[in-house]
Amino acid sequence: MGTGNVERRTILRAVGASMATLGLAATTGCGGNGGTSADGTVTIRYSWWGADERAKRINESIRLFEKKYPKIKIKTDFQDYVAFWEKFQTQAAGGNPPDVFQNAVGFLRKYDKRGILLDLKSQIDAGNLSLDNFREGVTSVGEVDGKQLGIPVGSNTMALVVDKKVFEKAGVAPETGWTWDDYFKALKTVYDKTKVPGDTGYFSIMYLYDLYLRQNGKAFFTTDGLGFDKADLTEWWTDGYDRVKAGIVTDPKVVAQDRPKSSVTAGHGASEFTWDNFTVRYTAEGDSEYGLAPIPTTDGRNTGQYLASLMLSASARTQHPKEVAQFIDFMVHDPEVGKIMGYDRGILASTEQYEAYKPTGEVDKEIAQYEEDTAKAGVLGKITPHPSGADTSEAAFLRIAGDMSLGKMKVGDAVNLFFDESEAAFQA
Amino acid sequence: MGTTVTLVKDSPLDTSTLGSPAPAAVKRRGRRENLAGYLFMSPWIAGFLLLTAGPMAASLYFAFTDYNLFSTPKWIGFDNFTRMFDDPRWQKSVEVTAKYVVIGTPLKLLLALGVALLLAQSRRGQAFYRAAFYAPSLIGASVSVAFVWRSIFSDDAIVDRTMSFFGVHTGGWVGDPDWILYCLVALTVWQFGAPMVIFLAGLKQVPRELYEAAEMDGAGPFRRFWSITLPMISPVLFFNVLLETIHSFQIFGSAYVVSNTYCGPADATLVYTCYLYQQGFKNAQMGFASAMAWMLLLAVALVTAVLFWSQKKWVHYEETAR
Repeated sequence: MGTGNVERRTILRAVGASMATLGLAATTGCGGNGGTSADGTVTIRYSWWGADERAKRINESIRLFEKKYPKIKIKTDFQDYVAFWEKFQTQAAGGNPPDVFQNAVGFLRKYDKRGILLDLKSQIDAGNLSLDNFREGVTSVGEVDGKQLGIPVGSNTMALVVDKKVFEKAGVAPETGWTWDDYFKALKTVYDKTKVPGDTGYFSIMYLYDLYLRQNGKAFFTTDGLGFDKADLTEWWTDGYDRVKAGIVTDPKVVAQDRPKSSVTAGHGASEFTWDNFTVRYTAEGDSEYGLAPIPTTDGRNTGQYLASLMLSASARTQHPKEVAQFIDFMVHDPEVGKIMGYDRGILASTEQYEAYKPTGEVDKEIAQYEEDTAKAGVLGKITPHPSGADTSEAAFLRIAGDMSLGKMKVGDAVNLFFDESEAAFQA
Repeated sequence: MGTTVTLVKDSPLDTSTLGSPAPAAVKRRGRRENLAGYLFMSPWIAGFLLLTAGPMAASLYFAFTDYNLFSTPKWIGFDNFTRMFDDPRWQKSVEVTAKYVVIGTPLKLLLALGVALLLAQSRRGQAFYRAAFYAPSLIGASVSVAFVWRSIFSDDAIVDRTMSFFGVHTGGWVGDPDWILYCLVALTVWQFGAPMVIFLAGLKQVPRELYEAAEMDGAGPFRRFWSITLPMISPVLFFNVLLETIHSFQIFGSAYVVSNTYCGPADATLVYTCYLYQQGFKNAQMGFASAMAWMLLLAVALVTAVLFWSQKKWVHYEETAR
């Protein structure tokens, strides 16, 4: 009897071992090195978010830069948007952020407050980087609290991206100055005639709600908090939920499954509010044709739109501020780089690049036309400020609106939760 | 390094000189031997201190602070812990995790035991079956399998179509907050091979003569299972229950991938570690995240303690029987 049965001690040991793996802890970072080699060659790290297409274009531009500045080597790294910022935050906290990186307005105050961003003014004054020759109004996006925290590479604006084939089939043609009523009627027509929901979830997009608020004399953010109250949001989300139930907005269960693809390119929605340069991505992602339509208005004229922009920022801890400034200068001003990049990151920001690149493809032409029309209509305003924590607030807005639209949370609870989480983010 | 080598060379001499050494020399040599041992262990010790013990101590400290990764941690006592109980998403994460553990673990073990019982009988091709059932345990934790899982549980994919064929219309589980957790449960249950192999080992050790005696006395298969097999393999069962429970509490990867990093929809896959991750690495609330980690450790320790206490009632060790 008893041919070596499992003993108590064996079990204890195994349990001990697996308990030990529970040790979850918080450490980050490994010290950065200077990045200067013996022959005086300087290496700087550059990271951005985007997809393969963008990576190809950027790498090609970098080859041009390295040819012109043989003593500077660029080491690159990219992820998708969400992963990029998670990694960046960890690197920055560990004192090891990339020397140069792609940035957007929602992150400027957050990382300035934490002392991560280099004020590029000093490099501009030193003549290593030029703020001249930019299209009107675009450089102000990178100007926060008297500092130049980012240099724009391309401008973009919120737009309504539509699946042209579906809209044509439904016989709906969006017009400049159309109202929200017109827009929601159009969604219903699209749904009735084609069985495709007209929109993929407008009520969860922070940047769109911002436009609606701006049309009504408010804004999503102030410099240190939210620019609207709970009653405003309750109305916005209640209407949104009703439209999901009516079928004219895509079922959020479907949206969740389509991710990371857009439900428009998956054929589960006929239009979506997003940045105008996204038509480049959507055209690559989906089978239909995608075009741009005007933002609906409250008063028949004002869309609340403004020019936003992707930027290049530098780390305050970089050991090579001069080389970093030269690199940014080259990337935003060199005409050849402009030809390579096209409108992938929005309409080229500097006049040298804007003039050098003549859009040939249908998609790029339409983006250019859209921003020209918008500018001509005289509706472009000053950009909404983004307080520190705006990025977390935006993510909470998207998530909580999604939960609410699944019917898993009452609108009132959702609104309260959003305000609580945003408040915590602004204070963090 | 040189000293280490001589020390090792010295050691065989120990036995021969054992007869008449001065006590101090013995002590010194003993200490030297210890030193050699520690030197050999040093890579592991360094790894343990730097990569496990150090971070754990740091996270214990952070748990009592307000720490956003950038600022200096500010001591706030038990605030992080009290905050958890007021946080609806924390409560939700506890609920989701508990549900996953309570549903997934028993199902997985039942299946493992059932298949082990079938495989315990000698049959042709038994080795093949064992390998086939074990294979998912090897690959199941990988990210790629979670991706596959995501697509087979989508709208109009295999699972949806198969169930629709039988008249059950659920749609894709992945997009549905009421169903997606079962998608994760299915993923863990599918990996029943690991506990199954342990059960098999336990079953093989049950003495045949017990069954023969029982059969003589007219016991049927169910009776034999209940009165012989189950008590005899109860230590193995206990072992599996413990391991699987502890393991289940730590679910992260599958929830993160199947929900496409959102741990949704509607927080339906917001397992504990996923919320911890969001708070720590997305919201930069590292103090709160550390407190959550220690809370999880406490909870798992408590569950483990309860299981150990309960074994008195149902686990039969042969050593105690003797």
